[in-house]
Amino acid sequence: MATIEDLAQAVFDGSTSKAKKLSQELIDDGMAPLDVINQGLIAGMSEVGAQFKAGTMFVPDMMAAAEAMTAGTEVVKPLLAADDMQSLGTVFICTVKGDLHDIGKNLVVMMLESAGFNVINAGVDVSPEDIVAGVKEHHPDIIGMSALLTTTMLHMKDTIELLKEEGLRDQVKVIIGGAPVSQDFADEISADGYSPDAVSAADLAKSLVGAA
Amino acid sequence: MYRTRSLYTTAGFTVNQHLFWEMLTDDQAEAIVSRTLELLERTGIDILSEDAAKTLKEAGCHVDGNRVRIPTAKSEWALRCAPSRVTLCDRNGNRAMLLENNEAHWGPGYTAKEFMEQEQNMDTNNNKIRPFTIADVEMYGKLCDTLPNISFAMPGGFPTDVDEANAEVEVFKTLVKATRKPIVQNVKNVDQAKKIIEMAAAIAGSPEKLAIDPFVALHVVVNEPLQISAEAADVVAFAAGHGLPIIVSNELVSGFTAPAESAGVLMVALANSIATLLIAQLACEGASFITGGFFTNNDTVNELHPYGSPEISLLGGGYANVLRTLRIPSFGFAGGTDAKCSDAQMGLEVALSTLCSGISGTNVIHGAGNFESGCVSNPTVLVLADEIACETKRIMRGVEMDEDRLARGVIEEVKPAGNYLATKHTRYYFRSEQFWPTLMNRKRIDDWAAEGSLTLGERTVNKMNDLLVNYEETPLPEGVDLDKIAG
Amino acid sequence: MRTNLRANTAVKMNVFTEQQCQELVFAAEEAMWLTGTEFHDPESIEILRKAGCTIDGIIAHIPPHITERALQTCQKHIVLCNSRTGARELFLEGGNSYFGSGPCTPFTRNPYTEERHRATRESVKWATKVLDALPNIDYAMSLGIVQDVPLLLSDRHEFEQMILNTDKPIITVCNDQYGQEDNIKMAEYIAGGEEELRNHPFICLYAEPISPGVHCIEAAQKMVYGARKGLPTIYTPCIMAGGTAPATLAGVMVQGLCESLSGLVLGQCAAEGSPFIMGGVYTVLDMGSTIFSYGAPELDLMLAGLADVAHYLKVPMFGTAGCTDTCVIDEQAGVEAALSMAMTNMSGANLNHDTGYAEYGTTSNLDLVVIADEVLGMARRITAGIQTTEETLSLKEIEKVGPGGRFRAADIPEPEEEGVFEPKNSRVDYQARLVNRGAREIWEKAGGKTLKQAANEKVRDIIENHEAEPLPKATAAKIREMVENAVGHMPGE
Repeated sequence: MATIEDLAQAVFDGSTSKAKKLSQELIDDGMAPLDVINQGLIAGMSEVGAQFKAGTMFVPDMMAAAEAMTAGTEVVKPLLAADDMQSLGTVFICTVKGDLHDIGKNLVVMMLESAGFNVINAGVDVSPEDIVAGVKEHHPDIIGMSALLTTTMLHMKDTIELLKEEGLRDQVKVIIGGAPVSQDFADEISADGYSPDAVSAADLAKSLVGAA
Repeated sequence: MYRTRSLYTTAGFTVNQHLFWEMLTDDQAEAIVSRTLELLERTGIDILSEDAAKTLKEAGCHVDGNRVRIPTAKSEWALRCAPSRVTLCDRNGNRAMLLENNEAHWGPGYTAKEFMEQEQNMDTNNNKIRPFTIADVEMYGKLCDTLPNISFAMPGGFPTDVDEANAEVEVFKTLVKATRKPIVQNVKNVDQAKKIIEMAAAIAGSPEKLAIDPFVALHVVVNEPLQISAEAADVVAFAAGHGLPIIVSNELVSGFTAPAESAGVLMVALANSIATLLIAQLACEGASFITGGFFTNNDTVNELHPYGSPEISLLGGGYANVLRTLRIPSFGFAGGTDAKCSDAQMGLEVALSTLCSGISGTNVIHGAGNFESGCVSNPTVLVLADEIACETKRIMRGVEMDEDRLARGVIEEVKPAGNYLATKHTRYYFRSEQFWPTLMNRKRIDDWAAEGSLTLGERTVNKMNDLLVNYEETPLPEGVDLDKIAG
Repeated sequence: MRTNLRANTAVKMNVFTEQQCQELVFAAEEAMWLTGTEFHDPESIEILRKAGCTIDGIIAHIPPHITERALQTCQKHIVLCNSRTGARELFLEGGNSYFGSGPCTPFTRNPYTEERHRATRESVKWATKVLDALPNIDYAMSLGIVQDVPLLLSDRHEFEQMILNTDKPIITVCNDQYGQEDNIKMAEYIAGGEEELRNHPFICLYAEPISPGVHCIEAAQKMVYGARKGLPTIYTPCIMAGGTAPATLAGVMVQGLCESLSGLVLGQCAAEGSPFIMGGVYTVLDMGSTIFSYGAPELDLMLAGLADVAHYLKVPMFGTAGCTDTCVIDEQAGVEAALSMAMTNMSGANLNHDTGYAEYGTTSNLDLVVIADEVLGMARRITAGIQTTEETLSLKEIEKVGPGGRFRAADIPEPEEEGVFEPKNSRVDYQARLVNRGAREIWEKAGGKTLKQAANEKVRDIIENHEAEPLPKATAAKIREMVENAVGHMPGE
């Protein structure tokens, strides 16, 4: 007989097949879908997150747990009403125009998803115009921009200017990151925040939506 | 991720299973050995022990007073008799150190007469220095017991609060209680050796048991060119006769007690080593014998013999190389520094020697903790050396290659612009392929600052204090009374 | 006199056997063919297509025979020269190891205020002076992106500061092809013409792909342009195990070679016979903090392995040493500089960069450069090994001194005398210039300084008192003019 702890353990262990199987079993046994998600999937994920912060678990463990959690969520999602599924918010994230670096950004995506955000990963080489189009389409709470070159950093400023021009600046929070980026630069271009790495990016995002 | 299906073999594929490192070719080592044998045969060596000189004469050497000329055939006989491998066990008789085939093991030093006190988070440039005591020996024993990359114990310094004539006996008594790991024990004379062997035998259960599973190796020093003191010669014979491994360490200074030319240093050391080897083999054919030394240079500008110079690694590596071709286990030095405070000099000198001693395949490497050109014992240096030894071992381990590790299938699966973070291949391999630091900072500057902006030295002090606080003593077998034996 | 004495004239160290090197190259060829790499520059795609590669959108699949031909045709005898005289200085071949700094850190530590700030023209000027003055440093890279000028022109300003403040060879890392064109024009002007620069190059070009397997427009264009100009071009990836490369060290080797050799193929297809330098920064992704680790022992190990592959291919190699993950110049800086310098030097990698990189490559630090220079001297002493000649096997001297005697101390090397020929001798006792070997009282009287403090004093002394061999005034003025008139290009336009 599957228990909710078994499910949390399966996520913790990063076992995708087990997470899927146990999620289905618990649903079949009559457990409320939201409970399966919160007490099983998210509980396992949070434990991994806590151990990651403590330095006893590592990025690949988090990725495996995130994958298991996603697999379990896919099983449960169809049973939820549209507004039952509570995410912390939506983040539209990309690497700016002219820049193809994306591993840092992908680490942020992982941390945000693990934290409970709905993330739209728009990829690399995304122009200010495409970011604005993304805002109009997805209505994110937060825009995240990444750049690895001092030259492409300049597009972050352009994007904020374009958001202002389109009257969208007040509707989103803008956070930035990447090796050459700094708090000073974020202040200079009137971004809402800067974070040096993926963990603090997730914390920053949480504080901006009032969930910290 | 695709993998090929065939159960194919790859014939004739030769790999470096571990890092390959060589300073001298076999031809070069042979040239050094040949010249040394000529030196022993024609110039000879002063053996200041009457007993040893007599034994050598009886064995066919030409003896004139103290001057012993050793025929090449005798030297080569001794070299053939010497076992190519020696095992040191722990206090419980379990295999602990294999001294063979370029296996490297690190441990502390034993000579410093002062001690540097460490306080948590104290300004590392203002530490108090005071005389080295027997309590410090106990601390070193505890650290050796708990540090995973330190293989054997030495006292870390020379205690000044005990009777000097009996100090080595007190040291052994203290170390053997504090740690289960093998002990390299320096002795000054046969009387000390007798007491130490008796204590060790009591712990092992009997002299026979100790000889089969030795957890202590006696260590004597030769610090003159072509001259063996009476005490050293007699201890060598005594240890060999009692089945205990003996380490003969040449402490020579190039440009002073050895030639300024590096090859000449190796020759002088080898002459000393072969002469003492012969003494050991005559006492007991097949006696376990380890040799090497601590070689440094005569720095006439600064008027001292450095503990952090590159010459230490150059000469030590060269000598280990010669011993490798002679198939005799080697003894060396690393982990010392001329720094007078905990700074980048300490880091670089300890790192350079720890790395070079390891990759040269030196079997027993002592010296970690020697601070301020050997005057001061600094236990945080031992803790730091443990970390660096772990890094060195990762380097020595080399790069493993097989179909799965070449990762052709994973590269194809991930494709350009992908990433490897979430692949099963990464999850499977990342832990075992990497070195995991316990002291080296890998944090970003904000996180590092949030944790107190600690230097490596400060983090090391904290780790050391943690280790000591959490140390658990393993008591000696019941009924063993070391005080009685030590006298 | 004897025969049959095979000797190591220096330490010999190998990670891989020749067979393993062959296996790695084949695995890279497989990845270049099966998986291919992305080329975002349309011209590069056309060059590869014409050469016989299979093109699938922006992915170029390079057939093994084309890779193998490229490895044959690339120019392997590469010599970097002095920019004032054209003298041939750095012979990038065999196990010759030369060292210098790194480019493009966004931040630098001010040697006077300790402030961590964005690199500027002045910080690059100071860095170059330090590199010029240090005896074990063989070439210069900028140790910072100049950010107190229009950012799109940072590379021209970097080059100007470097060329003014050293006559040692320069590796120039440009934003894009246009920056590279401008810097080459300046170099050609100084050399006296295009052909003069090509024949006695004092600059080396640099481009890097984005791992895994992406050749962005700028990188590909720089490679092609450099090849057509016949100037030595370094094309190397910076990859981390578990992140942008497989988690296994062998897998990192394959990934890195695949990317580097893809650049080689592009260059040879654009201009067969052009000089190419392979190499990289291969390390681990720290799975706790997610940094690209510059201090990891795996970096030292993998790059030593890459040196084996480069020697096997007889292609010059660009390595990495003298860098650290620590944020301040503490014990860790010493440890990591020592491990990387010693390993790199013993591996025989030819042109080694990133000396002075602190804080995992984010912030350059001149104190570290000075310290690394000292460490390098020590590493060179050890690597040079022990000679076993009739003379060095000091039988006569030992006999003369006799048992229990005392030997003559080593001669302290005299400074070179003008006009007097003295054979080069790298096997002398290392003379410490920075590390302290004095007794405690002497050290305390002189201020009781840490190595970082002593290094910092030296940095300031160099900044204030050292002058490089100057460029002629007119030349310097012309360079200024060329920088002023440079036109930048926005990435992605």
